[in-house]
Amino acid sequence: MKDFKKVLLKLLLVVLLLVSLNYVYKYFFYDGDLKEHSEVFFRVNTPENLNADILYLGESSNVTFRGDDYDKRPISGFLQDYFPSIKIGEITKEAAHAGIFLALLKSLPEPNKVKTVVFTMNIRSFDCGWIYSNLETPLQKSLVLLRPYPPLVNRMMLSFKDYEIKTELERDWQIHSRWKRDTFNLSYPFPYKDVIDWDSMTSKKGILNPDGSRNQGLTELACNYIKTYGFQIDTLNNSRIQDFDEVVEYAHERGWNLVFNLLAENTKRAKELVGEDLVYIIRKNRDILVNRYSKNGVIVVDNLEDVPNEEFIDQNWTTEHYAEIGRRKIASNVAKALKKFYPKEYNSNVSISFVKLSQFYNDCEGKIIWGQKQTLTNEKSFSGKSSSKFGNDNVFSLTFEYAIKNLPDTVKFVDVECKYFQTTQNKSSRFVMEIEGKNIEHTRAEYQLSEENFPSGKWVSAKHTFPLDSTFFKGDLVKLFLVNDDQSFVYLDDIQITFRK
Amino acid sequence: MLFNSVEFLLFFPIVTVLFYLIPHKFRWIHLLSASCIFYMFFIPEYILILFVTIIIDYYAGILIEKSNGPIRKRYLVISIISTCAVLFIFKYYDFFNENMRYLFSKLDLKYPDKTPKFILPIGLSFHTFQSLSYVIEVYYKRQKAEKHFGIYSLYVMFYPQLVTGPIERPQNLLVQLREKIEFNYSNIANGLRLILFGLFIKMVVSDNLAVYVDEIYKKPEMYNSFSVLTGLFFYSFQIYCDFYGYSTIAVGCALAMGYSLMDNFKQPYLAKSIAEFWQKWHISLSTWFRDYVYFSMGGNKVRPLRWILNIMTIFLVSGFWHGASWTFVLWGFAHGLLYLSGALFNKLFQYQKPNSAFFIGLIKCISIAKTFFFVTLIWVLFRAQDFNQVVKVFYSLLNNGSITDNFHINNSVFIFLSLFIFLDYLLNQKRFDSWCETKSPVLRWAIYSFLIFTIIVFSSVENYPFIYFQF
Repeated sequence: MKDFKKVLLKLLLVVLLLVSLNYVYKYFFYDGDLKEHSEVFFRVNTPENLNADILYLGESSNVTFRGDDYDKRPISGFLQDYFPSIKIGEITKEAAHAGIFLALLKSLPEPNKVKTVVFTMNIRSFDCGWIYSNLETPLQKSLVLLRPYPPLVNRMMLSFKDYEIKTELERDWQIHSRWKRDTFNLSYPFPYKDVIDWDSMTSKKGILNPDGSRNQGLTELACNYIKTYGFQIDTLNNSRIQDFDEVVEYAHERGWNLVFNLLAENTKRAKELVGEDLVYIIRKNRDILVNRYSKNGVIVVDNLEDVPNEEFIDQNWTTEHYAEIGRRKIASNVAKALKKFYPKEYNSNVSISFVKLSQFYNDCEGKIIWGQKQTLTNEKSFSGKSSSKFGNDNVFSLTFEYAIKNLPDTVKFVDVECKYFQTTQNKSSRFVMEIEGKNIEHTRAEYQLSEENFPSGKWVSAKHTFPLDSTFFKGDLVKLFLVNDDQSFVYLDDIQITFRK
Repeated sequence: MLFNSVEFLLFFPIVTVLFYLIPHKFRWIHLLSASCIFYMFFIPEYILILFVTIIIDYYAGILIEKSNGPIRKRYLVISIISTCAVLFIFKYYDFFNENMRYLFSKLDLKYPDKTPKFILPIGLSFHTFQSLSYVIEVYYKRQKAEKHFGIYSLYVMFYPQLVTGPIERPQNLLVQLREKIEFNYSNIANGLRLILFGLFIKMVVSDNLAVYVDEIYKKPEMYNSFSVLTGLFFYSFQIYCDFYGYSTIAVGCALAMGYSLMDNFKQPYLAKSIAEFWQKWHISLSTWFRDYVYFSMGGNKVRPLRWILNIMTIFLVSGFWHGASWTFVLWGFAHGLLYLSGALFNKLFQYQKPNSAFFIGLIKCISIAKTFFFVTLIWVLFRAQDFNQVVKVFYSLLNNGSITDNFHINNSVFIFLSLFIFLDYLLNQKRFDSWCETKSPVLRWAIYSFLIFTIIVFSSVENYPFIYFQF
């Protein structure tokens, strides 16, 4: 009894100790830990998101662009064009899925003005290859500190690795066991028992070149398509279904409008490489998802076959990374769905079709995104709020990139004009035009701005004209930008680019 | 289940409390079930492998005890071969195939392209050796065969030391498992102290060092010689704190239930020679090799050449026990070579000990530094994935003097490492629990608060499994 009392007393002491340590941790260490281990919290907790009406939750499909995209904005950026009077926030986390998005949403601080949430729904994320992927560990880890417990408890969970940890071998083993367990059950006779069978037969047969030889690259790609898309969603046991079900429940609790944005897949490539069977399976999975969630009052935007093959950036792998037109198309589909909730605010005059342009303008306010967007800063501006700052470690300015095939054939010159601000006398700044292409050598033309003797500490107009010779049209991509490898910074604003005869 | 996991934070108190609530005659069932759950957290199916070795050696023990003459030895050999066969299949089969494939290709012969690969059952080498230790002891009649299958299974599977030792002897553990243990406050307190200390040195010291060690080993060519050397020193402490931490937690868990396990470390980096290092490092394994392999080969009561062969055999086998790779074999070889060189040096250069305490101290310091330095260099063979990495690390160590790099180390890492070195020295071969017991309650609680806070707040968030799990 004496010993028992002693133990109880010590337990009480430990509890008191932990309570006081919680306060020490919360006030001195918690913020630092959030920055280091749960950086995603700061992507969620932004004034833009807290004041947004619509929140777009995306993964890499939202932000990935192709080099020759004129406008490199994310899908959520294009979506804003359709609702200019509504604030649209975005949370982008690479490789994230419904389970992760839900945890992030739960950490969105109150009060907020969110009324509608657009969830990215990626058909691949229902496959065991993704469910058991090694990307899951860092994702889960980044959420531990955001759990609804006292900060010290969350930190303890993180220290004691309370998130899924598996070795590569264990993950492979999980995936293979799942593949073996999930046999195909199609409505017509299908020659393969499971994905392992299908994959090995395809690998054995191989994809042949016109001369009859084996094309190893395409064979591997076909096998990858099979392993990625060759699954039938089991609504009872698929953990991703459970995640989306939870999302629906949570959105109902919060009274949010819910939109699931089912991403486009490269079904054309799937058909070419593997055949109609794989496309059939993909479509069946799409039907399962659309039917299941439409019945639950969710608007499911079906983009599955709305993006053409050439708009898929990764032609040699299975991703949902779209070039500009692809991203615009997805945004347009989502916007049409959102129109149900915001009919008056919907702007129907947005075009997604491509117009061949020869004049371009960027006010550096982030409305149109060019390359090197990280150089945008609010430190100084000629007009608006921001400009492009470069120099020191970041030597390239905001960069214009454009596919040469989209320029009129008659152009002979390109005029580059901008507002220019140098903090000290700069001897390094120069206009650069680069031409890249499969059929030509990388070419580069430069013009030194030091020749202009611009004053320091003052916005001035800088201009240069590059002639375009015959090799120009042999290239694929033109890039125009400024370089400054000096220690002192230079700012750039209101960039005007004109291709002319 | 890992000691540094949330599951274990729940598992340990439940198992310990239930242990004291359950009557003595049923405790073996409770502990055996708990041990099975503990093991099945890794790959559940692999518990069957464990049961295979348990069944083999359980019956082997009984048969050996019952029989006489040459058949007795035959049973022992059968038991050793079957237990080692399990070890071979899961640990060395892949290595064997790799070498055979290489050999066949050199001889222009065909070897099967695909051979099955197994995930190594966690701690296989440890419980195999513990099992073997039992049959050998029964064979030498130093231990009676255990008739109770449950108790014997518990001897092999006792969860605190199931996956990374200490490798216990039946005379110590098996006997204790039959004893009735009463609740004792002091055991609980000391057990918890050891667990706290073990978690601190594993999670705060070792895991934080691991971040830098991994970086150096990943790209040694990127770092200058001093950074590489720092990485090597860090690894010496990483592996020490990792293994010492695990053993301390294991001893603490067992002690909380009143069982006493052997200590595995006694300040090994204060050893003055390689021979002394092996008396202080992974004591349960080195004494296992000494008792069952070295002595059975004649020990040091043989001719000098045979003795050299005995020593080299022990170190080579020890290297191979650690891992199925030639780098481990070379690691063992290097230790053997240094052991023999030390013995030869002592024989050739016998000097008179100085009278001055200063010189005695100086010689001691130099010897300790020299031993630590050599052990640190040899750890490269242990840590590297392959020979290429070994070459890269040593090349970078010797040739990267002029490189400027950004190998930035957090101050907290230095602080915790220094604190550990200081504590290790301060303990002076005492165990942390008994050292703590002598302090005033205020100081004790200040130490507990510090340990709890640092474990929670300063542990590395990256997952670094216990290094010896792979063996």
